[in-house]
Amino acid sequence: MNLEELAALHAKSLAEIEQAETPAALEQIRIRYLGRNGLLPAVMKQLKDVPADERPAFGRQANAWRQALDAALSTRGEALADSPAGTAPAFDSSLPGRWFATGAQHPVSRVIDEVTRIFGRLGFTVADGPDIETRFNNFTALNTAAHHPSMDAADTFWFDDDLLLRTQTSPVQIRVMLNHQPPVRIITPGRCYRRDTTDATHSANIHQIEGLYVDTRPVSLADLKATLATFAREMMGPGVGVRFRPHFFPFTEPSVEVDFSCHLCDGKGCRVCKQSGWIEIAGAGMVDPRVYRHVGYDPEKVYGFAFGMGVERIAMIRYGIADIRHLYENDLRFLTQFA
Amino acid sequence: MKVPISWLNEYVDVADIPVRELADKLTFSGVEVEGIEEIGVVLDDHFVVGEVLTCEAHPNSDHLHVCTVSDGTETLPIVCGAPNCRAGIKVALARIGAVVPEGGFTIKQAKRRGAVSRGMLCSARELKLSDDHDGIMILDADAVPGTPLRTILPPPETVLDLEITWNRPDCLSIIGLAREFAALLGRPLRMPGVAFETAGEPVEQLAAVRVEAPDLCWRYTARVLTQVEDGPSPAWMQRRLEQCGVRPLGLIVDVTNYVMLECGQPLHAFDHRHLADRTIIVRRAREGEHIRTLDGMDRTLDSEMLVIADAHEPAAIAGVMGGAESEIVEGTRTVLVESALFAAPSIKRTATTLGLRSESSHRFERGVDLDLADWASRRAVALLAQYGNARVAPGVIDADHRPAPQAPVRMRFQRAREVIGLPLAPETMIGHLTSLGLQTADSDSESATFAIPSWRVDLECEADLIEEVARLHGLDELPDIMPLVLAVPGTDDTRVRAVSLCRQTLLGFGLSEAMHYSFLSADELNTFDATANDRRLVLPNPVSADYAVMRDSLLPQLVQSLGRNFARQMEAPALFEIGRVFSQTPEGGLTEEEHLSIGFGGPFGRGALDRRRSVTNEEALLWLKGIAESLLCRLHAGEPAFEPAEHPAFEPGWGISVALAGEKIGLLGLIRGTLRHAWRMNVPMAVGELKLEPLLAGFDKREPLKPVPAYPGVRRDLALLVPASLTHERIVEAIREAAPESLTDIRLFDIFMPKETRGERRSLAYTLEFRSAERTLTDDEVNAACQKIIKAVSETLGAEVRAG
Repeated sequence: MNLEELAALHAKSLAEIEQAETPAALEQIRIRYLGRNGLLPAVMKQLKDVPADERPAFGRQANAWRQALDAALSTRGEALADSPAGTAPAFDSSLPGRWFATGAQHPVSRVIDEVTRIFGRLGFTVADGPDIETRFNNFTALNTAAHHPSMDAADTFWFDDDLLLRTQTSPVQIRVMLNHQPPVRIITPGRCYRRDTTDATHSANIHQIEGLYVDTRPVSLADLKATLATFAREMMGPGVGVRFRPHFFPFTEPSVEVDFSCHLCDGKGCRVCKQSGWIEIAGAGMVDPRVYRHVGYDPEKVYGFAFGMGVERIAMIRYGIADIRHLYENDLRFLTQFA
Repeated sequence: MKVPISWLNEYVDVADIPVRELADKLTFSGVEVEGIEEIGVVLDDHFVVGEVLTCEAHPNSDHLHVCTVSDGTETLPIVCGAPNCRAGIKVALARIGAVVPEGGFTIKQAKRRGAVSRGMLCSARELKLSDDHDGIMILDADAVPGTPLRTILPPPETVLDLEITWNRPDCLSIIGLAREFAALLGRPLRMPGVAFETAGEPVEQLAAVRVEAPDLCWRYTARVLTQVEDGPSPAWMQRRLEQCGVRPLGLIVDVTNYVMLECGQPLHAFDHRHLADRTIIVRRAREGEHIRTLDGMDRTLDSEMLVIADAHEPAAIAGVMGGAESEIVEGTRTVLVESALFAAPSIKRTATTLGLRSESSHRFERGVDLDLADWASRRAVALLAQYGNARVAPGVIDADHRPAPQAPVRMRFQRAREVIGLPLAPETMIGHLTSLGLQTADSDSESATFAIPSWRVDLECEADLIEEVARLHGLDELPDIMPLVLAVPGTDDTRVRAVSLCRQTLLGFGLSEAMHYSFLSADELNTFDATANDRRLVLPNPVSADYAVMRDSLLPQLVQSLGRNFARQMEAPALFEIGRVFSQTPEGGLTEEEHLSIGFGGPFGRGALDRRRSVTNEEALLWLKGIAESLLCRLHAGEPAFEPAEHPAFEPGWGISVALAGEKIGLLGLIRGTLRHAWRMNVPMAVGELKLEPLLAGFDKREPLKPVPAYPGVRRDLALLVPASLTHERIVEAIREAAPESLTDIRLFDIFMPKETRGERRSLAYTLEFRSAERTLTDDEVNAACQKIIKAVSETLGAEVRAG
């Protein structure tokens, strides 16, 4: 090979690089010239056969070619990488990513979390108690007369004359008041038991959340309404209002049933609120003085309110669940919708 | 409680107020209106009295009749399917063009199986008069054909359906509700008349009453009527009874029911002929004594039940139900009317024990007006005298053992304002209470004392009065403001946050949260683990056998849910549950404890492109163990120790126990194939159950901060071919023993069984990391340490070593 032939090869290679359309084609060119069996290494091997006087010039020419090749490959490579046509085949962005599977929290525990978080901001602390309770904590101390129907074996699971599966989480209030002096401000989520035959709206296992606030300074029905109204807005939406209907519970007096204005129709009336514009959410009232006496508080010196609501019911309203049995079937096709 | 508006209107004017408004007034004062029922409609002139002239069987049908019916002017052919259709009766006729209230269809001339029909004979339900659809309505025989039906049928009625709360037995009557409306509307209450004339022998000569249990029977009054003409009661009375859900039976019984509905006092009428020695003895039943009650059932009594007996045997279960023997029957002419007051708890107990509830026991259980017995007796007698032409014996037998009337109750105005939260004036509050029949006994500027009317057995203390003020005033005025919140000292939410972190961590691992019932069937528990049967807590009164035993483990239900989800084509279902388990202690005590269950089936943990490869037992159990280890680590629960363990539901050899600080806290393992097969599950199912409290104990603990390493670590890989039975733990121990302090980490990065060893040996490869806190370690130092380790594991473990 002489210098002219080398120069021709040089020019040809740069022209090929310039015409390369894809990174793959460019790579083919690189291998043809610079690869282990490429043309440039072949030229370098012939260097020893070049006449001695031409050898320095030939060497310089070959080195210049190597540098030109490197530069041209790199420039063309960058140009191809920048062009959209160049990137398309390299990565199929429509392939599914590598997922981290996450689980779904049960709607009942979600509601409990949300309700306790909201009441937490209003100063309520979570308190807990056992599922197996005493007659005193579940009924007597809550001013439930010995012949009140809720004590029937037809409604309550009794183990013996004294022990039972709690029918409400109110006994936790009794436990806390027996062990703490006012002020007491607690929220008690937990499981309760009713001797109900399971159907679309009844379940033998349910969850309740109750709240209790007792203080030595006056606490009124108006404070109760303000607390529940704040909860209603946080839980269901800023436009939701609260109304009280007088009712009866053994452990509060006055007692009220608490309706929230329907968050779905803004109180205009729809299927969920049965056209009334209101949804019954909770029971509440001012703690009955007879309850204070049972826990050793002086009814003359304390004021307080209590409220309670069903977690499943709120979950059903909140998420539009038509049948309470879905909540205990643990079908992942249902549960994973709460992820 | 059903309340026909026209009946209510007899005692207080309400008919001028729209029903919806009345219902709201009641609901927002504490008596919830559950429904408003409209009975009957105004019928137009298409509906007239008809007379069935002829009635023949339809030739082409086995149940239809072909009739001719006169509408007063012409004779119409009508096909009728009612079984009670016959010639000669007067019927409700809908002529062509009539729109039938029930269903809203129009009557047209039609052919039914070939016979022309020009009209329809109506049932009570078709006219929205009642639910009766057993046959067509049969009208009085003297009804004149052609008369518009609306002139002879009762006018339409509106009936309120009320939920009466347990504390308001005074509202279990029309008069009680009239009293409530009188207070709400500020209108006067009208009481019905109770006057009658008497004749003949005085009552003392006709009957005697002896109360042997005055603790259970506070008052017993008896009046006697002779020459009663029993028969159907007046139509208006029958209608009202029906509207209230009580079946009319005949004048005497109807009057006792009518007066009970009217004023709330249960009454009972005895056939005087069947009272032995004409004597009433109110006593406790003898243990095992029998009575056949009005419903035809034979009842066995116990010695705590109160009976109304004659000289020989029980004639009624006091306050619950009468006996069949002394029942009013055709031919009863002399009647003893009982109006009594029984102690509420006793009636409640008897009704519950016998499983026998009646309108009477319903009222006595809750508490009847203390002063009502005599008034109600007079009212009933007056009605029987008027409508049954009865002769009333002079006088009344009144065995009165009533407790002292309720004490007056004082209410402080300031306290009431503080509790309600509204600035109510004393006059306003007193006004609300007096409108309910409470009388001011005493008052000053700070408080007032009120006498409690006999019908308000629920008003015992100041809070009761404050409640009355609140509900009558209405609670709409309560402002809807942000509450003032003062912090309460000494609160701690550590556990709540710990449980929450535990839950969120498991959710992050890809397990979904499950929630199961606290009870299940004995079979389900025993299939899982029969050995624990004796310690389980059995419900004495379960809803059904499916929910009869308290769970002592969360696993049986978790396994079922995993299996069901797998059967529903979930490839790798993964669930956890935080819940309570229950058991009996050897001493007979009942205990409960919070547990955590975790589990999955199939290729859990694998990437989406790697799910088809089969899952070995080892992989499944290692994923489960990894979940437990990562969770414990996240919760700072401490270093767990694992040991092989067995469980009846686990595949033998595939269970491990978990211990923290020497205390066993749970089990992990693979469910036996035989249990999995119920869901045709051919992949491993790994489940575990841990006590929750030990997991949470370290939640708030923090290790002291360690300095970030200043010098690089040096790594060496070490592959060991060892006997298959040699454990990873043993290898790590051996390495540690031989290593210098600078060995900071030993990590397994590969494990396999070379085929040529035929399962006898396996290869484990480890990365060892050496690091010093003071300086960069030299290659020579690390190589020397490695050589020492290699020598040790070769000699002590018989390992073939490939170092790299």
